[in-house]
Amino acid sequence: MKRWIHTALILVLAFTVLLTGCGNKATTAEFDEDASFETLVSQAEGTTVTFYGWGGNEENNKWIDTVLAPTVKEKYGITLKRMPMDIEEVMSKLFNEKQANLEKGTIDMIWINGENFFTAKENNLLFGPVTPYLPNFEKYVDGEADEILYDYGYPTDGYESPYGCWQFVLINDSAVTPEQPKNTAELLEYAKKNQGKLTYPALPDFTGRNFVVNVIYDLVGHEKFIGMEADKATVKEAIEPALEYLRELNQYLWSEGKTFPATLAQLDQMFADGELVMTMSSYPCVIASSIENGIYPDTATSFVFENGMNGSSDFVALAANSPNKQAALVVMNEILSPEMQASRYEKVKITPVLDFSKLTDSEKELFDKVDLGKGILPLEELNEKKLPQMHAKLIPIVEEIWLEEVVGK
Amino acid sequence: MSKKPYLLLLPVIFLSLIFIVGILYGLIQSFGIIPSLGMKVPTLKYYQELFTRPELLSSIGMSLYIAFVSSILATILGVLICSLLVLTGKGKGKVMHLVKIPIAIPHIVVAMFVMLIFAQSGLLARVLFNLGLLESPNAFPTLLYSQNGIGIILAYLWKEIPFVIFFVITIMANINTSLGEAAENLGASRWRAFIDITLPLSMPSIKNAFLIIFAYNFGAYELPYLLGATAPRAIPVQAYIEYIHPDLLHRPYAMALNGIMFLVSFIIVLIYHRTVQRNPN
Amino acid sequence: MKKRKNILPKLLIYAFIFTILFPLALTAVWAFVGRWPWPRLLPQSFSLRGIEEIFGGYSGAFQTLGSSILLSAVVAILAVIVGTMTARALVLYDFPGKSLIQFSTILPIIIPSTVFAMGTHVLFIKVGLADNVLGVIIVHLICSLPYTVKIMTDVTAAFGGKLEEQAAVLGADSRQIMKEVTLPALMPGLVSSACMAYIISFGQYFVTLIIGGGNVKTFTLIMVPYLQSGDRIIASAYSIVFILSTLLVFIIFELAVRRFKTDENHYYFV
Repeated sequence: MKRWIHTALILVLAFTVLLTGCGNKATTAEFDEDASFETLVSQAEGTTVTFYGWGGNEENNKWIDTVLAPTVKEKYGITLKRMPMDIEEVMSKLFNEKQANLEKGTIDMIWINGENFFTAKENNLLFGPVTPYLPNFEKYVDGEADEILYDYGYPTDGYESPYGCWQFVLINDSAVTPEQPKNTAELLEYAKKNQGKLTYPALPDFTGRNFVVNVIYDLVGHEKFIGMEADKATVKEAIEPALEYLRELNQYLWSEGKTFPATLAQLDQMFADGELVMTMSSYPCVIASSIENGIYPDTATSFVFENGMNGSSDFVALAANSPNKQAALVVMNEILSPEMQASRYEKVKITPVLDFSKLTDSEKELFDKVDLGKGILPLEELNEKKLPQMHAKLIPIVEEIWLEEVVGK
Repeated sequence: MSKKPYLLLLPVIFLSLIFIVGILYGLIQSFGIIPSLGMKVPTLKYYQELFTRPELLSSIGMSLYIAFVSSILATILGVLICSLLVLTGKGKGKVMHLVKIPIAIPHIVVAMFVMLIFAQSGLLARVLFNLGLLESPNAFPTLLYSQNGIGIILAYLWKEIPFVIFFVITIMANINTSLGEAAENLGASRWRAFIDITLPLSMPSIKNAFLIIFAYNFGAYELPYLLGATAPRAIPVQAYIEYIHPDLLHRPYAMALNGIMFLVSFIIVLIYHRTVQRNPN
Repeated sequence: MKKRKNILPKLLIYAFIFTILFPLALTAVWAFVGRWPWPRLLPQSFSLRGIEEIFGGYSGAFQTLGSSILLSAVVAILAVIVGTMTARALVLYDFPGKSLIQFSTILPIIIPSTVFAMGTHVLFIKVGLADNVLGVIIVHLICSLPYTVKIMTDVTAAFGGKLEEQAAVLGADSRQIMKEVTLPALMPGLVSSACMAYIISFGQYFVTLIIGGGNVKTFTLIMVPYLQSGDRIIASAYSIVFILSTLLVFIIFELAVRRFKTDENHYYFV
């Protein structure tokens, strides 16, 4: 038995060395806060940088692995490693590293937005401001636009660099139900006509929240939530008409609104199987990939309320204890190049964050020649109908009230 | 006093210590102690607040319901199939390979199985529809995301009946070969010998299997989260949702819910031990 | 035995086998589905999207599968060693604190991994075990020990140490006893617990994610986001590769044990 143990231990040690050996990165130079972009580029060469974010979208994963990573490798000699991890776990990890006073962590870039950004920034988990380091931000992005200055109502203060846009849309199958409700009143009629074939994901699902927020916006407007105090009674009073509406809607919903699917994924499957007539998305162009991949029927189309739907940007941030800030900044800059934004627009169907008035004609052409595919609303219409996202502090309160006042009522 | 057992136990003690330190680090947060957020004063505030929430009791009730129904059914069916395997001599070989598969498959994959088969537009509903027994998907009973928790229970059964078999079969088969067959030689029928001798002697193992799956089903969030009702949420789901709350200040609530869960499991294990000791049979 | 009596039990066993296999077969079909709308009993169209994602090279899934198997195999070997040692101590000796040890070996099944992963992560960062393979091996070991200890306890108890005593009385030295008596008797249990530990390690998601920090990539880590995002085709493809690779490893373990003589009088979970 002893020899057995010895052999096994040697094997284990060998494997450990083997496996950890692969993960080692070349040590990077100390980060100099006054470094120019050229210095960053030269220091970043030959290093490895990590990019943490949600890994559930095949198209986006593929884009990072086959477009972004090879590009930064070729242009700057940077090895980009995609780390599929939900933002909650990224937050936990940063938070634990802080608790253990780890100065050089493992996370470099993070795909983040909204409350998570706010929490991370408030707790000094992020490095910043980062945007002054990025020439492409200055060159291509409208730094004064609301959706760049604010993330869920929080000032970004340059701690996040934009990644892509999101906006809420509803999706139906035009072959099954030709009509597309233009507001909440029409949606109610639509639900009556398609008894039991409508529902939305239970909050706190991101898209489920957006559905409820848009119902609230349509019934009471979005303006009154700007600067509203994060107090349950105040919020409840403000959204009372929406609560009443949602309670009335319940009786026509799937399972009579007694229960809701937990995630957007489940809602999508029910729609794909024909169990529901309507689904929804927070990324207005992803419908094209779903049609292309055969998940949705060819006749699926997206639509928005006439008064607009909420939307904002996704961002990339940099961890405060990032071991390779230089390379992370270089990659963040590359993400803002027209080539990368256009290829992400084409491959992942994520709307670009660039200010088109700042682009040259040949750069604009990159976007014009993209054939997005079926089911998508024109970008101009989406932009015109974009409403600001509700302040992050209010959303958990809406969630709580929804659970008490709407589910099963 | 021999030192040998302690030497043999050295690695397991080392690992248990890591584990226990891990738990303590976690549970200490439920008393509001998170130094890196500047929270240093111990408090019972989070527990008190949770107990004033009206949904806490219905959450605990929901979890107890799911855990009891699924673990009792899994134990009964598992022991039944295990007995059949032992008595028919199929307990060796290929069948046992199959039994290992469900244990190997992660819960989230099992959730997908359940959705593919038991959703209102799932395969079962389609079969019924094509047989003319169902008019539309809506006529199929809601098994997923519903308060009856049937989807969750089915998923647990698929994974845990094999687990019970795995847990019990070694002991049961050995008792049956050594004692059961002896009784048979003395003239008892095969089934009689099994019921009178093998089954009672396998009982400690069966009870352990039950306790383990009960505690697991009470505390795991994956299946109730994916297949459960919006309200009432099972208590581990509530803990998970507090845990992923972007505001890190909610972390103590998550850990306090875990603390309550641990307490409930502990009480049940204790009651169980008491009653078992009182009625040795 | 009369034949007719055996029909019902056999039928039940076959029904049981069917319920295990049916979802697996369905998933195998889903891995190749394009679209499968209500109320069709068979898919409307097929696609190779799922298979391309895994074997297409860009996702790195196939390479990760290899290192993942390696990692879990190491965990399995270690878990078997620790499990065997623990079981010997628990079965063959009486000592103060025995029930405490027994209780603590069951704990990892009962305590939700969110509770223990968080605390352990902070601890591991402090001692340099976070974000590396060694740390992940240790937590996987903790998660699989309840199972290996349980199996080895059963097997050791069944075999009882009496054979060892007899061999010693007959003049065998300790090395001979180990090689000729103990090891062959324990072998089926060793394989069984190796399989269990492998399974537990290979399927770990949350703990691997937190302790490995994304630095240690496993197959499950890539698979779970697809299951969560509800892409049934890719999720099914991953699940099938997951299951097939696990079965392959079981067969390898099984072949490894065939080389030893086993005690045919006892059933083991092998």
